[in-house]
Amino acid sequence: MNSDRFGIGWRPRLAAGILANLDRIEIVEVIADDYFYAARQERRALRTLGAQTPVTLHGVSLGLASSVPVDSRRLEHMARLCGEIEPAFWSEHLAFVRGGGIEIGHLAAPPRCEATIEGALANLAYAKQIVGVAPQVENVATLIDPPGSDRDEAAWLSAIVRNSESSLLLDLHNLHANAVNFHFDASEFLTRIPTERISTIHLAGGKWIGREGSRRLLDDHLHDVPDPVYELLEDVAFRAPQPLTVILERDGKFPSIESLLDQLDRARHAVARGRERLLQREEAA
Amino acid sequence: MSASRLETFLARIYVDDVAREQFLADPRGQAMRAGLRSDEIENLVNIDREGLEMFAHSLQHKKAKKLQRGIEGTWTS
Repeated sequence: MNSDRFGIGWRPRLAAGILANLDRIEIVEVIADDYFYAARQERRALRTLGAQTPVTLHGVSLGLASSVPVDSRRLEHMARLCGEIEPAFWSEHLAFVRGGGIEIGHLAAPPRCEATIEGALANLAYAKQIVGVAPQVENVATLIDPPGSDRDEAAWLSAIVRNSESSLLLDLHNLHANAVNFHFDASEFLTRIPTERISTIHLAGGKWIGREGSRRLLDDHLHDVPDPVYELLEDVAFRAPQPLTVILERDGKFPSIESLLDQLDRARHAVARGRERLLQREEAA
Repeated sequence: MSASRLETFLARIYVDDVAREQFLADPRGQAMRAGLRSDEIENLVNIDREGLEMFAHSLQHKKAKKLQRGIEGTWTS
């Protein structure tokens, strides 16, 4: 229970703050795709970072949750980067990002159906074959109820995680956003997924968009982590006794590094509360 | 095969304003012309229109921001 670790997503604007506070940051998550075509010097800098602190590589453009086979060239880039950096693990989203040669430009929730489950499982197996290790897989936020779906997110996500070698990177702000946008209970969602397969947690913030009365929560990574996400984190720490890696993601409107470190401390406290509840339940049993 | 056609269809209406406008004006006709299955067509007829517009708008906003920063091709999750 004491192997939980807490870290921050690496962004150039945060570099100095992260490097100056490695005593309070136990792991750093790097967007892998930003280094696929990077100059040798930049990749060397990444290796130097990896020598100072554990690093994880996070993919955003593979589009693994698709009925279309994943692009082998992108996987080879990931394999090469993993070989060079030797990350603690690598991860990617359960999203589709292109179709018929059209680049969507962001992560889209695929139709939640048998075809995308089968496609994701095939793509995950192929990713493991090329990279050597299966990625952790992340749930995505969506503003649109994914067209073509015949099941809900918990059922779809569970089918992929249970039938693959991948563990789950559970993004709690994505879960929170989907829950408020599509009117389901995020805590109940946690009872329906294989929480024993959660390895990593993402924390982030967002903002409300749209007209009054029909607003939706956009996961924009530009705002502080809201209270309900810390409450979900405590719940996960209670339900998942295995060591967790918790990563705070911030992509812009950067506050001070102290503010980000404070949010990381709030995450530590939330996990500690969940672990304490777990201990009390075990002692009472 | 139809599953990949559906993904292509969705990608197009997410990023292409004209295709989205045509789809919203005649969802059944556009989905049929794309060769989708009857269940997929029915599903698209009942699409979450508000969500579609919001998602399309957020994609445009992200693209504009990336261009503004001059970092087209740089991703964040």
